[in-house]
Order: sequence, then structure tokens, then C-alpha cells
Amino acid sequence: MIGNIALTLALVAGVFSVIMYYLTFRGYQNTLSMARIGYHTMSVMILTASALLLHAILTHQYQYKYVYNYSGSDLPLGLLISTFYAGQEGSFMLWTLFTAIIGLILLDYTSKRSDLEQRVMMIFGLALTFLLIMVNPLLKSPFTYLWTTPDFIDLKNINPAFLSLPALQNFMFSDPQSNKQFVQMSRDIYSVLTANNISVNEFIIQGKGLNPLLQNFWMQIHPPILFVGFAMSAVPFSFALAALLKNEYKDWVKQALPWVLSGTMVLGLAIMLGGYWAYGVLGWGGYWGWDPVENSSLVPWLVGVASIHTLLVQRKTQEKGSGRFVKTNLILSIMIFLLVLYSTFLTRSGILGDASVHSFVDPGMTVYLFLVIFLGLFVIIGFGMIAYRWKYLTVNFNEEENVLSRELGLFTGAVALLASAIIVLVGTSAPIFGQTVEIKFYNELNLPIAIIIGILNGSSLLLKWKLTEKKDFWKQSRFSMIAAVVLTALIVLFGGVSEIMLVVLLLSSAFALFVNGEIMLKILRGRKSFLGAYIAHIGIAVFLIGVVASGGYSDHKQVDLVKGEKLNVFGYDLSFTGYEPIDNGKKYAFNVEITKGSSIMIAKPVMFIAEFNNSLMREPDILVGLTKDFYIAPVGYESGEDDGHNHGNVVSLTKGQSTDYNGMKIIFESFEMPKEGMAAMSSGSEFKIGASLKVIADGKEYFVKPAMIIQGDGRKSESAELKEKNLRFEITNMEAGSGRVDIEISNLDENSGSSHSQISKEVLTVEASIKPFISLVWIGVILMVVGFIFSAYRRSKESVT
Amino acid sequence: MKNKYMFGGFIIVVFLGVMIYLFTQTNVTYESSFTKVMQSEKTVKATGSWIKERNYEIDRQNSTFSFYMKDDQGNIMKVMYHGTIPNNFESSTSVVVTGKYNNGVFHATDILTKCPSKYQEQPVQNASS
Repeated sequence: MIGNIALTLALVAGVFSVIMYYLTFRGYQNTLSMARIGYHTMSVMILTASALLLHAILTHQYQYKYVYNYSGSDLPLGLLISTFYAGQEGSFMLWTLFTAIIGLILLDYTSKRSDLEQRVMMIFGLALTFLLIMVNPLLKSPFTYLWTTPDFIDLKNINPAFLSLPALQNFMFSDPQSNKQFVQMSRDIYSVLTANNISVNEFIIQGKGLNPLLQNFWMQIHPPILFVGFAMSAVPFSFALAALLKNEYKDWVKQALPWVLSGTMVLGLAIMLGGYWAYGVLGWGGYWGWDPVENSSLVPWLVGVASIHTLLVQRKTQEKGSGRFVKTNLILSIMIFLLVLYSTFLTRSGILGDASVHSFVDPGMTVYLFLVIFLGLFVIIGFGMIAYRWKYLTVNFNEEENVLSRELGLFTGAVALLASAIIVLVGTSAPIFGQTVEIKFYNELNLPIAIIIGILNGSSLLLKWKLTEKKDFWKQSRFSMIAAVVLTALIVLFGGVSEIMLVVLLLSSAFALFVNGEIMLKILRGRKSFLGAYIAHIGIAVFLIGVVASGGYSDHKQVDLVKGEKLNVFGYDLSFTGYEPIDNGKKYAFNVEITKGSSIMIAKPVMFIAEFNNSLMREPDILVGLTKDFYIAPVGYESGEDDGHNHGNVVSLTKGQSTDYNGMKIIFESFEMPKEGMAAMSSGSEFKIGASLKVIADGKEYFVKPAMIIQGDGRKSESAELKEKNLRFEITNMEAGSGRVDIEISNLDENSGSSHSQISKEVLTVEASIKPFISLVWIGVILMVVGFIFSAYRRSKESVT
Repeated sequence: MKNKYMFGGFIIVVFLGVMIYLFTQTNVTYESSFTKVMQSEKTVKATGSWIKERNYEIDRQNSTFSFYMKDDQGNIMKVMYHGTIPNNFESSTSVVVTGKYNNGVFHATDILTKCPSKYQEQPVQNASS
């Protein structure tokens, strides 16, 4: 309740702050301090609401729908905290929280730069206000109570102490398919509970838990960093609009540059952390699958990187006037945020439902419409302002660049990045029109762009600002060109790279690598704060080489590993040595001994049945190497207890029905229920239901009576043996309503451990793959991030007026 | 003509052209009617549900995985996936397979499974009766 109040107050304070900033912008004198109070009040309220949500999660307050749906009492602390953003409501909350914090820094930053504050904070505050509308109690507040909409709660999540309450019996349901029992949560049951003096928090003792796919280290860092990136994307938007509002286009460039750089750095880091998550834990086999969710955050990143380059040109050409590419920079800075909103729309509106491996919960029509309005309004604000100033912009900013100038090189590079962004955007948006594209679409189109980027990455840096003499250009690029050709030739010869496009990409990346390396060595003796760009550019070159190797020359193979037998795969000897339970027996690690030469390593891919969704989960293991990763993804395991059947045969019979089993006839005659059964069922105490089976074999009749013991939600099977035929009967499932039982029939001696005539084989099936030089992909990304940090530091020093 | 428009324009025009061409070549439509899937010669994304009763088979020799799918109208189609059974398959409610129909079997190159996210979607009956 307090959470919702805090969120509502935050929204009110936010609107107030935006209005006060607007009035300040219009020239009112005393409104600036009011606006600041408004913004700070809003921030405090958002922080309060976030703290309350975190507290509710940590103390398992399952009366909140959000906490019940995404959290659980058995999670370790780190993962428990991460359930804060496991669902839609919480992730919007986290985005709001980070935006508010970024806004506090931005407020401080802009307040030191003349009249910047009111213009920037007005726009930024408006964006934050819209996020606050998203999490308000009428839309997607994480503080909604569980009983406000009907929901079925699994009986196992409910405190058994209250189940015998007579008033609750009307709310009990069961699902014949899964044989689970539920309590229907609604306002009705809430009033019953209240009448009996039971709080919902006491009544529900366990949440649905966190999706096992999300239960790992990366869940704890990837989403928060991504949302910091999202939050920072609103900053360039605000700066560009602030410039348009004042109709003054010089200062905003140097003021916005450190923000664009750090925002792009954070977003890029988040994207690749997601890629590493997919590779190392989710077992996609690669770091990038052109999945819509990945794509939709890649697009704003590409545009962000493009804008850095054109902003830099404008900054460099400001000796007199505003500099070059004024319009381009305004448009790109606005686009970053609009694309983040579009990305949110794509991934949150449920529109991609069929197209992505990420699971989407349909948020409902109101949220869908709100997202459309949110996006639409900011498109109108952004492009409306540009249209409003367009005439002024075209008349005043109209200059020419030379062919061999760094300006044009950087511009062309930005255009190449934009082309890539458009391609990814079109491919990702296709599901809106009931279409989708194959992976090939992205790969084939982005490959030539990567080549262009490699070439420009190197050559732009050899070009001088304004104008370069042709002979100077050749002189300077000679070393790098020769070195690049030599390196590429070596890779082609020894690495076996043969596809022509990949060779060209290698050549262009190697060229970029050497140009940047050479410049970097020179700078190392001089001003080190200038290193940023070169480190980042080396990063992208290394990254691209890694992509060529790992993308073009990975190899995979599915193999069956028989326990104790060695099998050679890609030059490694693989041997399955057994499995062991890990994580308190929740998961199983399958030990695969890998021998190459004299070195022996153990890979431990993991498989387990997740209770959460009742399905088999698999986690790969990777032997990381400098030149290649050896990737082992588990596929399946056969214990070898029976030829082809893991758990014996299951027959399903309704009352009176018979079936043939290995030449025997099995008839399900009737259920056998003790008299006290009915009474026990309603009181919740233990009772037993038997199934009378007649087995006719070799002209003889036998009777067996397997049974099931039921107590509350728990079921226990009591098997029956037919020693004459060496069989065991066990009820695996029972439906009293339709009179159907599932009976598992297995051979007696298997489970009792006595000798078996057949030698059983334990087989682990794995998919083994070789990923050459995938380490370069990660090294490249790390270099890029480091480069961005250097540059952001340098540009923030320069941004002070 | 300004240099920046020449360079930038050239890249954009070339890539837009190639993109439109490739889009028409690689685009895949969603198809929920298996009658249409079976007639189509192109790669499609067929959407339907896995028929749990008919189970699935894993062929380790050829590393294929096959199962039966059903569309809204109840048309049944055998699907063969050249790869391993995806995580979550057992609990999936709806399945999207990408591939082509050929000789009575839908050869899938990609499988996407959707899982029930909430219990409400399942039919629930009163048990106490």
C-alpha cells in the first residue's frame, strides 16, 4: 500500500517538476528551486518504493502478486535480490529507479552549465514521468495485491495449517491433467481469510519461484547494467531537445559527448554480457542468435556509436560557428532514446510472442496502448522539434567536406553503422507484419558492412581533419597495409580460412588493428588520455577477427558417450565417468573426462528436472582456451537400466479395460477404497486407494493390488509385486473422476539390484563443439569498453565551460 | 553534389537495395494451417501444438528428433528436427517449427517452444465433487 502511495506521489512530484522547469525555461524567476525540490521529492519517492519492493522480496511478502509470481523462499540472497527485476513490473521499476538516479547526476551536471538545467531536466523529467505512469497502480505497479485478479495458487505454496478450514473448501480446485491442486485466489477468499483473521502473508508460504534459466550469476548483473544503459539513453535525447528549444547548437555537443560515450559503453557491455550468458549458461552454442530481444537493444547501440563519431566531427569543427553535421547529430541523439522505447515496445507488448526464445507475458491491452502512446508521443516531441527548426537548420548549417578528410571518413563510418542498424531493425520488426527473416539475412548483410567499418576504422585515423594530401595518406598507411596483408596471408595459410568475404573482412580488420596499434604506441609516450579511441578501435578489430574465426569455423558433433569408454572427438578423447548430484541434489553434474596429449581435464555439463516448469534443463560446460573453446552441451542420459526404457512401461487403463503386456493380459477391475477414505479425503488426513488388477498369463490368473497413499497434496505410491512373473506394478497417476490409472510395470530384479542377464550401458549424449578464437570476441569487447571509459573521461574533462 | 551525400547515400542505397532483395529471399511467414504448410514450397514457420499422447522419438544414430504436431483445425503433421530436443519441450503448450514440408514429413531447422506461464491457462475442474 505504501509502495503505491510512494509511486503516486513520485508521479505527482515529477509532473510538478517538469512544469516548474518549463516555467523556468519560459523566464520565470523563482521556479527553478521549486523544480529542483520537485525532482528530488520524486527521486526520494522512487527510492522509497524500490526499497519497499526489495524489502517485500527479502521478507517474502507473498501478498504482493509480483513477489508471489517471480520470487521464492528457497532462493539464495543474490538470486532473491534479482527477482526484483525478474518480471515486467519490477523491470520497469528498476528502469525507473536508474533513470531517477541518472537524473540526479544529470541535474548536478547541468546546474553547473548556465541555463542548461531547465531545458535538459524538463525533457528528462518528462521521460521519467512516463516511466512512472508505467509503474503506477493502474498499469504495472509491482505492489498490486495477489487477490485483486483471480489466480490459482498451487496447494504446495499454501500453509497446510489452514487447509482444513471449512470455509476454504469452496476455493479448492484440481487440474486433471497435471494432477495438481489449487486454491483459487480472489477477493472472495481474501474476505474469508480476513474474516478468519488470517493474513495472506501467513496463508501463502512460498512463491512460484524464479525461472531456472534465470538462476545464475549473469541474471544478477546483465539486466541491471542493461537498464542503466536504457536509463542513460534519455540523456542525449534531452540534450538534443534542449539545443532545439534554445535554437543554439554549439555547446550541447561537448556537454552531451561524455554522456553519449558512457551510455553507449554501458549498453554495449550489457549486450555482450547477455551474449556471454547465452553462450556459457543457456547453451545456445553461440553468443549471438539474432534473437529479437538481443537485436532490439543492439539497434540503439549501433546508432549511439554512429552518433559518437558525428558528434566528434561537430566538436572538432567548431572554431567558428556550430560545426558540421548539426542536423545529423540532433537526429541521431534523438533516435537513440526512441529506439530504446521501440525496443521496449517490441519486447514488452507481446507482439513478438512467436518469434523469440525469450518468454513474454502478454501485458494486456492497456499496457500495449500505453507503450504505443509513450513511443508515439516522444517521436512527435523529438521529430516535431526538428521539423519546427528545420528551415533554420538547413539555411544555417550547410558546409562541404573534402573527400580525403577525417570528417568524411567518420561520417561514412557512421552511415555504415546506421545501415547495419536499419537492417537489424527491419529484420526485428518483421514479426509485426507476420513475417520473419532467417539468420542468413543478418549475417549476409552485416558482413560487407563489417568490412567497410574495418577499412574506415583504420583509414579515418590516417586522414587529417579538413584535408589530407594523397601522398601523405599512402605514406602513412603503407606499414599497416603490408602488415595486414601479411597477417591475413598467415591466417589464410595456417587457419584454413577460404571464404572470400571472410578473408576480406580479416584483411580490413587486421588493417584497422595495425593502424590503431601504431598510433597507440606513439601516443603512449604522449597524452595518455587520448588513448580511448584507439583502444576501442583495436577492440572492434579484435572482435571482428574473433567473429570471423568463431562464426565461420566452428564445428560441432553429437556423440554418445558410453560410460568408461573413450571416444575421440575433434582430437580430444572424451570419456563419461559418471554423474553426481550438485546443489543439494537439485541438479546433476555429468563428469566427462577430456584427454588431449598428456593433459586431463574434467568437464561437468549439468542436467536437471526443474520443478518450476517440470522440464529438463541443460547447462553446458566449456573448456576455455586461448586459441579455442571446447564446448560440451548435454543432450540426454540413459541409465541403461532397461533396454530402451528408462522406467519400465507405463500402461494407462480405465476401469474394466484390459491391455496386452508381453503376452500377458492385464485387466483393471476396480478401485479399492477403504470406507474411511471418503471421510479422510474431506478431513485431509492420510488415506489409501488401491487398484485391483487381474493378470492373465500362461492360462493362470493372478491378482495384484498396487495402491496410492494420499495425504493432502502429497501422493505416495505403494507398489505391488508379482513374483511369479518377476514383475512390479506401481501406480504413477490416478484420476478418480474418470476412473483411470497409469500403471508402471517393471522387472523386479532391476530395482532390487540383483544380477541382470543383460549388461546395461550407461550412455551420456552430448553435443561437442570447437569454437576457435572465441576468446578474441570477449577480449575485443573488453577493449572496447575500456576505450569507451578512457574517452568518456577525456570528454567529460573537456565539457566544462 | 556534396561529398557526404555521395558517400553516405551510396552506402545507404546499396544496402537498402540488397536488404530488400535478401528480405524477399529469406523472409519466412507464420502459418497456422497445416494444409497450407503442406502445400507451400517455401520455408515457413508452422505454429501448432505438440500432440503429447503420440509422444516423441529421438534417433541417436541420425541425431534427429521427431514428434507430431496439430494445428487449430486438428490437422496432424509429423515433424522431424535435425538436432537435439530443446529445453522445455516436455512442458510446452505451443510449438513453432521452421522448415519445409516434404514427403509427408516436416523437416524443421529450428524449434521454438512456448510454455504456459500461468496456471490460469489450464482447464481447472472442481475436485471435491
